[in-house]
Amino acid sequence: LNVWLLAAGVAAWVGVAIVAILMAEWGEPVLGFFPMLAAVLVAWAVGEYVTRVVWGQRS
Amino acid sequence: MIERLFREEQLQDPRWYQFLFGNILMSPLWLVARLYLGWQWLQSGWGKVTGDGWLNEDGRALRTFWERIVVVPEQGRPPITFGWYRDFINFMLEREWYTWFAWLIALGETAVGIALIVGAFTAIAALFGATMNFNFMLAGSASTNPVLFIIAILMILAWKTAGYIGLDRWLLPALGTPWQPGRLFRLIQAR
Repeated sequence: LNVWLLAAGVAAWVGVAIVAILMAEWGEPVLGFFPMLAAVLVAWAVGEYVTRVVWGQRS
Repeated sequence: MIERLFREEQLQDPRWYQFLFGNILMSPLWLVARLYLGWQWLQSGWGKVTGDGWLNEDGRALRTFWERIVVVPEQGRPPITFGWYRDFINFMLEREWYTWFAWLIALGETAVGIALIVGAFTAIAALFGATMNFNFMLAGSASTNPVLFIIAILMILAWKTAGYIGLDRWLLPALGTPWQPGRLFRLIQAR
């Protein structure tokens, strides 16, 4: 288990939570949804790539 | 007699059910539902966290709400249908539990929202959300609660895939389930 990869993954998802809270603070119920969705997709896609390609683990 | 009525036989779920609630191909669909649900909870919770009367003023907003719903009007229907639930709210009101219960609701809604958005322990977060929806409905507040409640129940049924495009994609294989320990527990057991 690579501790640095794990720390980066945790940081990425904490970042998603921060984006979501910032969007909630912005108070735009429709427009705020999309940056949050984008943050989730980017964090997941990067995590999936690192897990499969760098870490070499399927699931 | 009982042996004739009941027998040891495991019933199987139909293919469509397995596909809908347990197939990774359906995870994009659950992502949309999960983010919608999480976004609703986060907006509601964050509004309370940053607003007045929940984390400050000794839970004034919740006290006002409880005081309003326990009233039984002389004419028409009361907000709360079940007497036992009205007694329960009165019980908490008399003991001034709104001072800490307001914190629980505000932070609970925010935590459920964030957990659903990042997809961490999705089914557990959805269960807590459904519990809050259920209580709000018992308290006579319909609003979006029936819709959110149904989505939360579906999310619980789809617990294996609802958080796949999220943190559960890594959390569930690592932690596993009580009947099938994950990678982390197998690692600990091996030591």
